[in-house]
Amino acid sequence: MAVTRAMLVAETAAHADELHRALTASGFDVRRARPAELADRPALLDEPDVVLVSAALGLQRVALLGQRFAGADKHPAVLVFPEDDPGALEACVRGGFDYVTPPYLPGLLRGRLVSSHERGQLVGAVEAMATMASLHAYERDLGIAREIQAGFLPEHLSVPDGWEFDFRFRPARHVAGDFYDVFEMVNGRRLGFVVADVCDKGVSAALFMALIRTLLRHTADNTSAWNLMDAAPGPLAPGGGSLPPALGLGAGPLVQSVVSTNRYLARNHLRQGYFVTLFFGVLDPVSGSLLYINGGHNPPLLLRGTGERVPLRPTGPAVGMAADSVYSLGHARLDPGDTLFAYTDGVVDARSPGGAPFGTSRLHDLLAPHPPSGRELLEAVDRALADHVGATEQFDDITMLALRRAG
Amino acid sequence: MTLDTRTTVRARTATITLTGDVDAASASVLDEAIAAAAVSSPRRLVLDLNAVDYLSSAGLRCLVFAHQRLGRGVEIVLAGAHPDVAETVRLAGFDRVATIEDQVGG
Repeated sequence: MAVTRAMLVAETAAHADELHRALTASGFDVRRARPAELADRPALLDEPDVVLVSAALGLQRVALLGQRFAGADKHPAVLVFPEDDPGALEACVRGGFDYVTPPYLPGLLRGRLVSSHERGQLVGAVEAMATMASLHAYERDLGIAREIQAGFLPEHLSVPDGWEFDFRFRPARHVAGDFYDVFEMVNGRRLGFVVADVCDKGVSAALFMALIRTLLRHTADNTSAWNLMDAAPGPLAPGGGSLPPALGLGAGPLVQSVVSTNRYLARNHLRQGYFVTLFFGVLDPVSGSLLYINGGHNPPLLLRGTGERVPLRPTGPAVGMAADSVYSLGHARLDPGDTLFAYTDGVVDARSPGGAPFGTSRLHDLLAPHPPSGRELLEAVDRALADHVGATEQFDDITMLALRRAG
Repeated sequence: MTLDTRTTVRARTATITLTGDVDAASASVLDEAIAAAAVSSPRRLVLDLNAVDYLSSAGLRCLVFAHQRLGRGVEIVLAGAHPDVAETVRLAGFDRVATIEDQVGG
């Protein structure tokens, strides 16, 4: 690119005139401006390839002017020239500015300005490359996190006859740690499902989510089915009574997996402040009986065919918060026509452009007692969410689950 | 939405007064305030939540982080929390770790 346009910035004419003549003689198209004019006419800032500023303005004003000339995609060279005070020039040179001094010989002047300009272009290019490189590293991290997260979500849901499972899973751009899982337990006699929210974002949250999901599933798979009385650390919630053995099937693995995951996290990841809120349900598809542990999670709602709405409140604190946390079992029953709706707080925390959260009460209003299907229920919530947030960027993961027993 | 914090330390009680919302976007502000307060090795950490309208799970994580950072011997007090904020804290079971009080010094 030819270096052809020069801008001379000074308060007074005397010394600038001499430089102006030399610049014209060495082939530059020269414009002149006083600092105040640059403020009034910003278009002037776009023009020059090189800027020559009087050192008499002082280092601070010279530096400010330099910043104003530097645009997003252009880096004009900024040099200083002396007026009567050599001390002012020295201050600017110490401040990092390139300079020219009289006598202004056209050939030397041109060489000096071109090399200064080229150096400026190179610095600009390197800065742009560095920015791109860090952006790429960030995007790559996000890509890895998304792959980890996606790889740990169930691919196929084996849904028993007479039941519908519907999910929404929408990770935020920054990849948070929501997850859901569905798997068979007790040789296919029970269906386990989890909705969970890891309280962190980014790659670490995705890794942490993978760890927690593995701990939960692994323990659920490897705990024998019948030892409810050995395993249950507390009374049943909310009733407090004991379950007949057939109902208790799956209770042992459920309690064990939550208790041991909690203990593992609290012991090994204490310093990181990690914890997870989760709802872990174990469904008997034949009877509709549901055992669950709610570890500090937003209460899922059981929408009865009769119009009743039952929140399944926490039966213990968030998992990983303290090693000695106690978890009780909850019990509910899904009759034909009943729907269980579980979600993470990305739903109720979703912000409108004005900053208002979607809110729990608005969500509850949406959950009609007789949703025709789980899918339509989730679509209705999705539509209301989209209306609420408008063009606002989604900040947290959004996960929803609807489990419906055909009526 | 922004969050401002002001910290005072008196007789080994660190009080952080919060103004604004504690959500994913502002949680780091509270984390920094807690880390700064931890330097004085307080025996008691009071979070004045009177001017906090909203606390998300990310905000909750700050509280857990505070608990873990300060250690078991340090009492954490949540003072003046609005009903919604107190409910969020109770839902996650953090009320088993911290003391919820109506007002600072209450």
